Amino acid sequence: MTESFAALLAVMAAAAFLCRVAGFTLMRYVPVSPRVEAALRATPLAVMAGITVLALQAGGLAEGLALASVVGLTLVLRSDVAAALLGVVVVALLRWAGV
Amino acid sequence: MSRALFSIDGFRRGARDGVPLALSIFAYGVGFGLVAAQAGFGVGKAVATSAAIYSGSAQLAAVNLLQTGEATLWALFATILVINARYLLFGATLQPWLWAAGPLRAYGSLLLLGDANWLMTMRAIRAGEVDRAYLAGTGAPVALGWLSGTALGAAAVSVLPRPEALGFDLMLACFAAGMMTAMIKTRTDLLPVLVGAGTAFGIFQLLGPAPAIIGAGLAGAAAAALVHKEPS
Repeated sequence: MTESFAALLAVMAAAAFLCRVAGFTLMRYVPVSPRVEAALRATPLAVMAGITVLALQAGGLAEGLALASVVGLTLVLRSDVAAALLGVVVVALLRWAGV
Repeated sequence: MSRALFSIDGFRRGARDGVPLALSIFAYGVGFGLVAAQAGFGVGKAVATSAAIYSGSAQLAAVNLLQTGEATLWALFATILVINARYLLFGATLQPWLWAAGPLRAYGSLLLLGDANWLMTMRAIRAGEVDRAYLAGTGAPVALGWLSGTALGAAAVSVLPRPEALGFDLMLACFAAGMMTAMIKTRTDLLPVLVGAGTAFGIFQLLGPAPAIIGAGLAGAAAAALVHKEPS
């Protein structure tokens, strides 16, 4: 590794920037039909389901119980943000209790 | 062409919604700072890395690669491209809404794009948010949390509790689970959830976490497009 830190930083920043803008820029040339709109609307739901499943796979009982409580609390409290923050408290307590 | 609303009010609304996200990002920033410090980065270099890449998972991978001492510029470039490929999807889904603000504001806002505030903004768009400054608003507290967390962690504050002990590593998943639950309004919404979950599970077994997220998004989008019925 002989490159300077500035060169490393520039290369890494370029890659990260490319990812941020490329999908956005390409999408400018896709006509947004109702079908495409349905796909765009569905994407965050699928990504959120994916993130949740990965956390379940990587985690154990504590993580599973915490995420299940987030789903339940969201329905009960009608606030997803409050439920998410409480979920973090649940997993911290369960880990502390040795689950 | 008349441009979409981009006001200080929208920015404030976004910033308010971004504060709970910023808490967890701050804790993650501390985590990255600790790792960077162990890899020999000082506070300045660690914060510069966080500002330039602005993506936790990509930065951790890059630092790991640099630690091997065999990292080439191309390997670094490719690593970040692969890990951050999900941002291609994030940008594409934001495009129809964000482009209406004009190129400078749109591309400027994309600099502050991250996993958590993308979710937050997509939820707001669905709920009828028209102010395009909302995205940059959600990004501002998150960026502040990320940079200050990195600085604190890299200052080798070994007395800090590890973020895992406080449950912060599960924050993004908790937000995802909560927002997903709140966003399921009709039976049509269940399809991308089930397809996304199944796809992520399968791809993770075969290829690991980064492609699993992209695969979940693409599969969910394709499924929704397939079953979409044009109103007759």
